[in-house]
Amino acid sequence: MGGEDLAFLSAAELATLVRTRQVSPVELVRVYLERIDRLDGRLRAYIAVCRHEAVAAARRAEAAVIAGEPCGPLHGVPFAVKDQFDARGLPTTMGSRVLKDLVPDADATVVARLRAAGGVLLGKLNLTEFALGGTREFPFGQPRNPWNVEHDPGGSSSGSGIATATALCAFTLGEDTGGSVRSPAAWCGVVGLRPTWGRVSRAGVFPLSWSMDAAGPLGRSVGDCALVLSLIAGRDDRDPTTSRRPVPDYRSVLSGDVRGLRLGVVRELTQGAETHDEVRCAVEAAAARLGALGATVDEVSLPSIPLTGAAFMALADSEGAGLHARWLRERPGDYDAGTRRRLLSAGLLPATLVHQASRARALIRRQVLEALHRHDALLAPMAHTAAPLISAGRAPITSRADVGPRFFTRRCYGSPASLAGVPALSVPCGFTPGELPIGLQVIGRPFDEATILRVADAYERATDWHRRRPPD
Amino acid sequence: MAELDGEQVRALAAAAGLPMADEDLAEVTHRVNAFVEALAPLAALPLESIEPLPLEPDPD
Repeated sequence: MGGEDLAFLSAAELATLVRTRQVSPVELVRVYLERIDRLDGRLRAYIAVCRHEAVAAARRAEAAVIAGEPCGPLHGVPFAVKDQFDARGLPTTMGSRVLKDLVPDADATVVARLRAAGGVLLGKLNLTEFALGGTREFPFGQPRNPWNVEHDPGGSSSGSGIATATALCAFTLGEDTGGSVRSPAAWCGVVGLRPTWGRVSRAGVFPLSWSMDAAGPLGRSVGDCALVLSLIAGRDDRDPTTSRRPVPDYRSVLSGDVRGLRLGVVRELTQGAETHDEVRCAVEAAAARLGALGATVDEVSLPSIPLTGAAFMALADSEGAGLHARWLRERPGDYDAGTRRRLLSAGLLPATLVHQASRARALIRRQVLEALHRHDALLAPMAHTAAPLISAGRAPITSRADVGPRFFTRRCYGSPASLAGVPALSVPCGFTPGELPIGLQVIGRPFDEATILRVADAYERATDWHRRRPPD
Repeated sequence: MAELDGEQVRALAAAAGLPMADEDLAEVTHRVNAFVEALAPLAALPLESIEPLPLEPDPD
């Protein structure tokens, strides 16, 4: 099997090949390092590649296989993580000059769990500065969409989307506050899952919004996301907000069977005036496909949707403004201008408005949960458009009217699940005429990641979108 | 809430202890005013009986 075909195999397949001695972990690492060297100079998925450490870890993994030692479910499988997760001995930059010298002495819990499962860490991935979105000048290079390098790969887990889509590793971890795993997954044509808040530990993950941050996997298949989630989820005493609920084997529910499931298509997002026709058509076709597979599909209304983008930003950004207040005072010039202005704006919001947004959040949560009481999962576009041009995000804001479409509108698609604290994922559901990926969002009940994975897996089995590869 | 002008935003930033360079002032002013406008409809929502809890406690 050639290097490219090997690189695009699923993490589960690679683990099997390693365990059965059909491929060496050292060979796997070298395949991915070759692809990084060849492709990432342009794509800028990685901030740091720990090639020597990865080769050393791969050699240890190889020796363990040869010695007949027990192999974990990810034994010898190379992965990478958003540079928001601590990995001992490697800087956690958060994509910023502010933190370029911060070197943790311990792994984030999720990183430690993946290493314990046998995974080989390849490096740290690029992101929008401090996971906020709206970065104009990336200190570690402009991340680019692998389907068209003039287009945005999505954020904030930009590098995670790129590296997964382009097989610069087997799978990645991202962090999702208001869509930051799901958005790059949608725009890069891969699967990305945001778990229920409290399902996965946030220990060793630099915060944006403590009440909405959620670490989650990106993979080239639903099965890989299920596998990785099974390994990273669960109680962590380092993060007391993590649930003690048992973690199921999420792969066990991937039967391809959705008969009897009740799915609701969110009207305000699918039929909204801001949703581009090509996105609407793709989502409607996906819903129809799930109906043909045996699910019951109808329409559901979430009337507060138009307010969710601004409410989300008021809450998340005000938390960020508090977190960054000292650095903003002491070293404002080390921030990207877009990040700095976003944080400063949030720091000036009246407390009464932030308080109202907090109450609106509870109302939004109530509406989402009521809809999920009548449905097993909700369907919606992951974004109102496919990936826009990078240049659109760099344009200066010259009027109040520029702000809403650029910041609030797009967040109406990802933020409802975040505000409600429920799990949601994006799975590829089509391409635009310009060959840019479109993502279908599947939203589930609290701690029911199994159902949204089951729905996405059934859809994936019935389609071929996930088999396409970006141009080299 | 009335639309803020640049000097008002500069004064607010000073009161909040936040830096406000000349290069940032215009855009921050636009953003703050846009936020206030976008959040204004919240006042019409039936929020009186809604507790601003970020999440419901997990019984487990």
